[in-house]
Amino acid sequence: MTTTEVAERLRGDRRFQDVLGRLVEMSERDYYNPYRLFDWPDSLPDDAYWMTPELMAEHGTDVWDELPEPRRRALSKWQSINFYSLNVHGIRELLHEIVARIHTADFDVPSEYFHHIIGEENEHMWFFAAFCRRYGGKIYPPRSLRLAGPGIAGADHFLVFARLLVFEELVDVFNQRMAGDDRLHPTIRKVNEVHHQDESRHIAFGRQIVAMLHADLRERLGDGELAALEDYLKGYMRGSVASLCEPGAYRDAGIPEPYAVRRRVLASPAHAGYARRVLRRTESFMVNAGIFRTGLPESAKE
Amino acid sequence: MPASDPVAAPDGAEPVPDGLEFVLRHLRSRKPEYGDLDPDFDLIENRVLDSLGFVEFLYLLEEHTGQEISIDAVSREDFRTIRRIRERFFR
Ligand SMILES: [Fe+2]
Ligand SMILES: [Fe+2]
Repeated sequence: MTTTEVAERLRGDRRFQDVLGRLVEMSERDYYNPYRLFDWPDSLPDDAYWMTPELMAEHGTDVWDELPEPRRRALSKWQSINFYSLNVHGIRELLHEIVARIHTADFDVPSEYFHHIIGEENEHMWFFAAFCRRYGGKIYPPRSLRLAGPGIAGADHFLVFARLLVFEELVDVFNQRMAGDDRLHPTIRKVNEVHHQDESRHIAFGRQIVAMLHADLRERLGDGELAALEDYLKGYMRGSVASLCEPGAYRDAGIPEPYAVRRRVLASPAHAGYARRVLRRTESFMVNAGIFRTGLPESAKE
Repeated sequence: MPASDPVAAPDGAEPVPDGLEFVLRHLRSRKPEYGDLDPDFDLIENRVLDSLGFVEFLYLLEEHTGQEISIDAVSREDFRTIRRIRERFFR
């Protein structure tokens, strides 16, 4: 896609500009000071759930059945630290990509809104990192390395925004549920609630831009290339769900053979159902926007 | 001990460690069309390792070297060839 093609498409779409205007207005109206918003108690109770158990990747698998209740709770703590760590690393990638595009010729139209995304994501990264360090004493290290993707010329912008949307949609499924789960400590609920508020705007933006960038690709790419993009994104979605099974979290929860445990969880039929559930929203969007010709395969395994 | 070829193990040469053997098998299974994979074959250029497959490979490497590997502490060049992987993670 040439520079002018992207810019023209974004400039020529009235609806997109209306959405951007509303999102900027909402961001200004709801602006808050994250550094003063949260109560950070010295510690959170170790014998409670830190994460909604039904949202844990192990839930319903043989691994889960074998764990005594206190071990499940310990695991929920470390899986929640892993979840927030994934957020920290996902936000690093997001910031990197948005900063690379703000006030460039292709993206003059959304640049005003990019300022809000960058500002808000910096704050999200701060509170997620604060949570991990304060209550877990660490942030789990990043696991992914950017190597070759589907290798389709001109699809870079689309792939970047599609990956970011998959990430934000998936995280939001967790945030929304955990914000309203009264088994969780108020600080945990608050972190999830605050993030969900901001992300509802980012996701509205992400859906618009991803749909537009793909509409453009449909005019220029052949069926084979579009299918390769679809396959790649489906793989990316499965990989994102698999990243919720972190061997380091099993180790910290005192569960032996953490790599074997991860393999068992990922291979379990219950986990296939879990992956479908947490990805359903993203999948529906992708199908409705014409980005996927078919839904995720029945067995959402790797 | 010959340092010239850290992967192939002719008679009297350094044997391939068990862990590395697992890792090699995994890499070969990702792209069987490339056969046995020469120690200097470019795994990244030839997409034996790509973005989506990398994490599973990393976990396998951790499991068989017994060390947690932080992406902050390595570079993509450490994964470029089997020779590099052996030098970096199986010494
Ligand atoms: Fe965020
Ligand atoms: Fe966001």
